[in-house]
Amino acid sequence: MKKVMAFLKAHLLPVIAIVVVVIGAVVYTSAHKQTSAKAGRTPIVFWHEMGGPAEVALDQMVDKFNKSQSKYEVIPQYQGAYDEAVQKIIQSHGSNASPALFQSFDISTAQMMHSKYTTPVQKFIDEDNYNVSDISPVARSFYSNKGKQLAMPFNTSQPVLYYNASLLKKYHITPPAKSPSYSDVTRVAEQLYKRSHHKVKGMTMEIYGWLMEEALANAKTSLVNHGDGHVGNPTKINLNNPTTVNYLKWIRTNIKSGDFVNYGSGASAETNEIAAFLAGKLGIFVQSSAYIGQLTTDNPNKLGISYFPHPDGQKANGVGIGGAALWISNDKPTKVQKGAFEFIKYAERPDSQANWQKATGYLALNSKSQSQPALKSLYAKQPEARVPGEQLAAAKPNDTNSGILMEGMQLTREMEETAMETVYDGGSIPKALSNASQGMNTNLKTTNRANNDYQ
Amino acid sequence: MLKSPATHSSTAPVTSDKAKSKAERSESGFWLNAKDKYYAWIFLGPSLLILGVFIFYPMFRTLYLSLFLTNTVGKPTVFVGLSNYINLLTSADYLSSLGVTMVYVLAVTVITIALGLILANYASKQLAGIGIFRTLFSATMGVSVSVAAIFWLFIFNPSTGFLALVSNWLHLPQINWLTDPGWAMLAVIITTVWMNLGFTFLILLGAMQSVPTTLYEAASIEGATPRYQLFHITIPMISPTLFFVSIITLIEGFKSFGLIDLMTKGGPTNATNMLVYRIYKDAFYSGNYAQASAESLILTVIIAIFTLIQFKVLEKRVNY
Repeated sequence: MKKVMAFLKAHLLPVIAIVVVVIGAVVYTSAHKQTSAKAGRTPIVFWHEMGGPAEVALDQMVDKFNKSQSKYEVIPQYQGAYDEAVQKIIQSHGSNASPALFQSFDISTAQMMHSKYTTPVQKFIDEDNYNVSDISPVARSFYSNKGKQLAMPFNTSQPVLYYNASLLKKYHITPPAKSPSYSDVTRVAEQLYKRSHHKVKGMTMEIYGWLMEEALANAKTSLVNHGDGHVGNPTKINLNNPTTVNYLKWIRTNIKSGDFVNYGSGASAETNEIAAFLAGKLGIFVQSSAYIGQLTTDNPNKLGISYFPHPDGQKANGVGIGGAALWISNDKPTKVQKGAFEFIKYAERPDSQANWQKATGYLALNSKSQSQPALKSLYAKQPEARVPGEQLAAAKPNDTNSGILMEGMQLTREMEETAMETVYDGGSIPKALSNASQGMNTNLKTTNRANNDYQ
Repeated sequence: MLKSPATHSSTAPVTSDKAKSKAERSESGFWLNAKDKYYAWIFLGPSLLILGVFIFYPMFRTLYLSLFLTNTVGKPTVFVGLSNYINLLTSADYLSSLGVTMVYVLAVTVITIALGLILANYASKQLAGIGIFRTLFSATMGVSVSVAAIFWLFIFNPSTGFLALVSNWLHLPQINWLTDPGWAMLAVIITTVWMNLGFTFLILLGAMQSVPTTLYEAASIEGATPRYQLFHITIPMISPTLFFVSIITLIEGFKSFGLIDLMTKGGPTNATNMLVYRIYKDAFYSGNYAQASAESLILTVIIAIFTLIQFKVLEKRVNY
């Protein structure tokens, strides 16, 4: 140690110089690794929020695109979680650090539209006469406004109902219908809880605003006025409506009979419910279709999948999608924007989408993907993996199942979740819902005022 | 006041007293001569620049933003004066956040220091194999926030977690640690105390070992009990360290973020929605920079008040 110190003292300046050079070189190369393209190619910087296996699959897709042509080079850059990425995208706009192409999640659609920082993809669709009819209509309508496509849907999921088919067989319980009603789900959950002598909990429903919004969509009920924002900018929110009350009453029935287990909200809730489901301690849960991969690889039991449940005595309207879309920034030259659209077209191709679904569990958006070898081999191994795609194809888009085109959805969702928590803990349903409605409306008014009502 | 080795100062009172030292002269003059100014800028300029860019500008920008409403892209649009502050301080939601933060911070500080003191008191004894216990007690220092959160998430899991298994085995009613608003706060406090304990223990142990052994020897000869020695020798002697640890733990408590984000996300029913977590969510989830700025300033004032109280009250009891 002493020798080292003596050496450092004697050679202080050279040591500092070397350290500085090394740090500088690392910074220089790491900064250049991500933004430089091969000579003669136009770089397209692409920000995304896909982590884990999805990132690997996305990198492969980008790599194939880059090899498929010689004009553009897409450079994918992971930007962390959806929520924070929205702020990064908005705050970096107009600087040379901003992306040419970016992925932004479902509930940021209104914000991106109002920011006027993007070129609606409709422009490129028209210029190229690109045929979008193969792409899922309910997914397209989520990211469009008044017939104009704002962004192209990319990674897409829908909530589905998962059940442990082996456990149901063991206890001689008829599985839920393909498109089950609330009471059908309750029947299975209660039977499972009773017949297992309380060893297996019947069901759970995560405290997740998205699931409650989907319950509204499936019952053809708007959460906000002006057709859930598809006709005009929303000015009023009504969470305290008969559909929400009915949905929460259904959950309350199950909580009261003891078959329901509450895992709370957030990522930990999802981890916990999946852990319990895989351990055979939970019969039913409703969650994004993107979890199929995880639920089939390590599952000793047979997995069953049904559509998102609908209220009794009512036909299912079909649920909206979740996930994210690809947007093109308008702060880059036309050549770059065109290149970004070339990649979008590549990403929506039948083979790209089939490989994407196989690798990630997100649903293939191109109807021609279903006959691709990647999906055929997947369905041969896991026939149940067909169900979410069928649910997606069955939904006919209308205002209530095309998402809520309103700003401040993050906060709205948070308030929905607070209301759900209150109800799950035994609080009064109308009171929790009217409290949430009040908070949401105050927030909506402030947002509209801060943006001058988007005049 | 700037001190400089001035040869003569233009504004220093001209006195005939030539015995007056150079240092005194420059100290008594506020205005510096040209050469002094030159040196002052060279030496202070860089730090002023850095402070200005990274501290003062963000501070004033936060204050400015907190007086406006911010639009979709985070730009201030409508001047609203103090109404962001008024809305916050009259909203039941924000006040409950304030309340839970206080409960959390005080509980974590008191429990951590009490447990740290007990453990350090035992571990400061010279016994065979005491090194093993010292290592064990301080082991949580090496655990990162995310690892601690995941570790405790597994313990609290209502279906497969350790606590669920124990209560199942003993036929006790099951507690929904992280989903029941009544218990979630306790769960987060337990995890934070567990995580902070290693550091607190180590610092207190170090302080205890620097107390001269002659004091204990003299007390033993006088017949003082170990308990009496703890309260009348150990604690007064380590009081500067206790003071330091209490401030650090308190401020860390106010800044607690990672655990909340990973374990409860501020839920259930905002039961663990601490001030810092709320600021983060308002700014980076909702993009409501105006409100987040107002919240930041309120938090700054609160921490300043607590630190001031500690300096005024605790410092008097510190035995240097």
